[in-house]
Amino acid sequence: MKVFAILGVSLGLAAGAVQAQSPETLGWLRKMHQATQKLSYTGTFVYQQGARSETSRITRYADGAGDIERLEVLDGVPREIVRTRDTVRCYLPDSRVVKIDRRTPDRSFPALLPEKSGALARHYDIGLGETRRIAGFDCQAVVLTPKDNLRYGYRLYADVASGMLLKAVTFDAAGESIEQFMFTQLAIGNVTRDMVRPRHAARAWRVEDAAASPAHLTGWGLSAELPGFHKIVELKRRMGESKPVGQVVYSDGLAAVSVFIEPLQGRRDVVRTGLASMGAIHIYTREVANHMVTVVGETPAASVQRIADAVEYRQPQ
Amino acid sequence: MDGELDERDAGDTIDTLGREREALEAWRTYHLISDAMQMSHRLAARPRLRFALPLAASVAAVALVGWVAFAPQPVAPPAPAPVVAEAKPPVMVPLPAAANDYLLAHQGFSPRVSFQGMAPYVRTVSDPGQENRR
Repeated sequence: MKVFAILGVSLGLAAGAVQAQSPETLGWLRKMHQATQKLSYTGTFVYQQGARSETSRITRYADGAGDIERLEVLDGVPREIVRTRDTVRCYLPDSRVVKIDRRTPDRSFPALLPEKSGALARHYDIGLGETRRIAGFDCQAVVLTPKDNLRYGYRLYADVASGMLLKAVTFDAAGESIEQFMFTQLAIGNVTRDMVRPRHAARAWRVEDAAASPAHLTGWGLSAELPGFHKIVELKRRMGESKPVGQVVYSDGLAAVSVFIEPLQGRRDVVRTGLASMGAIHIYTREVANHMVTVVGETPAASVQRIADAVEYRQPQ
Repeated sequence: MDGELDERDAGDTIDTLGREREALEAWRTYHLISDAMQMSHRLAARPRLRFALPLAASVAAVALVGWVAFAPQPVAPPAPAPVVAEAKPPVMVPLPAAANDYLLAHQGFSPRVSFQGMAPYVRTVSDPGQENRR
């Protein structure tokens, strides 16, 4: 936690290294968002986290009827995720399981709405960084530096011509990279419908449908919200073969934290309370009112822990 | 801990490590904690190397192992940071068995998908075999 002691210094330095926030920088975020919504492309990218890296191929097919996106892990077991207009299907060949989740219908990037972009600027300094060539594309860096230690910073490299995001680095308060995605090869356009079909027929595989639906989790809430994080959705779902699980998601416009609430009654496995981490993801588990509360977020450990510690159950009156 | 452990103590420490399962568990725990606090770990690394240099080669190797094992100890109970003063030091645990399920459920609501497409979903299918080795 010494990391936080030097936060002030590093934030000051990082903020000084990029230009002051301007409509131009928000314009770049908008351009990235539009490229993600409109382009068809196929490319190979490397996901790197600590000493570990994994290569995947991502292909997006867009036409008038909507879009289909397919992600296939190229290292090890060929795990695969295919996202259609309303569904996300996750194919796990080693366990012969297909996991099905609803896709969030809202495809907008709320942080870019005029009334919300101010909120983003309250918690991040947004500026332009250097230009750099990545996988053959001339890219512009957009740097989002957090103003406190409750969120990570992002360095996003977008193709100057198309706005396509070629590289995304998540960095901590010390400015150290903790996770990154980077295309090593990308071709925009010329994608056919066949290229986004799942490679696994998945016949006779076990299907785990999350059956997520909006819900009100009566009695559950936070004793205090984390600065900048607001509730964006509350729902009930199934997870694996477990009983219904409640999920509440909080977001500051860039990062999100999910709170999962599951009854402890009838659980066979022992709950291990504490903090676990994987790259930029932290998972904090604790028990509240005979339930297991698991908080998952792409935020520093402190944020995940603070939200977890604030979860409370109040008997409805 | 910074430099006051002498050669013989370091040797004793190694013996203790070899004998006691509990100490080994602690050793693993400290490593988990140090992973989570790479910054502090890196800061601790420098005096550790300086300490090892004057020793005879074989002893140095042993001492270094001793220090690698115990250097992160000062950060085990992390000093409360100013902004998170009310938070208790977290107990580090392995990723939950259902980590990928949580991530899949969470990922769809991450605003990152809005400007990065589904690349971040790759976390949700991460190879659990790789994770467990940590």
